Amino acid sequence: MTSEASQAPEARFDELIHPSTRLSIVALLASADWIDFAYVRDRLELSDSALSKQFATLETRGTSLSGPSATGAEGYKYASPIPAGPPSRVTSPRCAQSLPARSRMSAAWN
Amino acid sequence: MAEHINCADAGRALDDVDLRRRQIVAQIDVPGWYWWGLALAWVGLGLVTVAGNPWLSVAATVGFGAAHSAVAARVIDGRHGSRQLSVRADVVSRHVPALVIGFLVTLVAFTVGIALAAAALDAPQPALIASIVVAIAVLIGGPRLMASVRHRAERSERR
Repeated sequence: MTSEASQAPEARFDELIHPSTRLSIVALLASADWIDFAYVRDRLELSDSALSKQFATLETRGTSLSGPSATGAEGYKYASPIPAGPPSRVTSPRCAQSLPARSRMSAAWN
Repeated sequence: MAEHINCADAGRALDDVDLRRRQIVAQIDVPGWYWWGLALAWVGLGLVTVAGNPWLSVAATVGFGAAHSAVAARVIDGRHGSRQLSVRADVVSRHVPALVIGFLVTLVAFTVGIALAAAALDAPQPALIASIVVAIAVLIGGPRLMASVRHRAERSERR
């Protein structure tokens, strides 16, 4: 394992946001002050009920909350810090070499 | 409980985070109605000069300035281009309002220059001609300005 990987904070899988659908939702929320339900639904190509379930799961940990937008539409905003750490534990030296540059993206929204 | 994810899945997850952030960056914009309102106001000011009443021209100009000040503060930061979301402040360049204002100041200078040139050529209603030409420039140049802002935001995301 490279010295950079050995000095990196211990990464762990977060069962709340790291499943791919919720990760996509949180990644959208993290770049917006407020975002409409329909926008998230259309970007993720989910049904209303499927997306509602995902938001309900996130809300159990206070990760997002619903509230009326300026236009009166139902919208969501991110209400708590995103858990720190890149989304995976490095499992091989070759992986450690390829991930550090890309992990800047995850660090940027921590 | 910690769970290991393989390298490929981790890479896909990071790619997805990048994709979602770029989708928000693509929403950096000024609402379309702002450029149309500006263009129509510009033509309106040109029509007011046709009346030939300097006090009316002054009142119209002051009124335009007041209306623009009331509206612009909310929309020219590039964060409210979409009705479906508001882009976070740290995703958008803080220089966007200055870019838009600079664009408008440049257009004012162009309006004066075109009007003077039209007057020198003995064109009828040079101020109206200038206002129409600049209104077209607003409708074309405004969205292009925001497209360049989005392009720069995307490039800075990739660094």
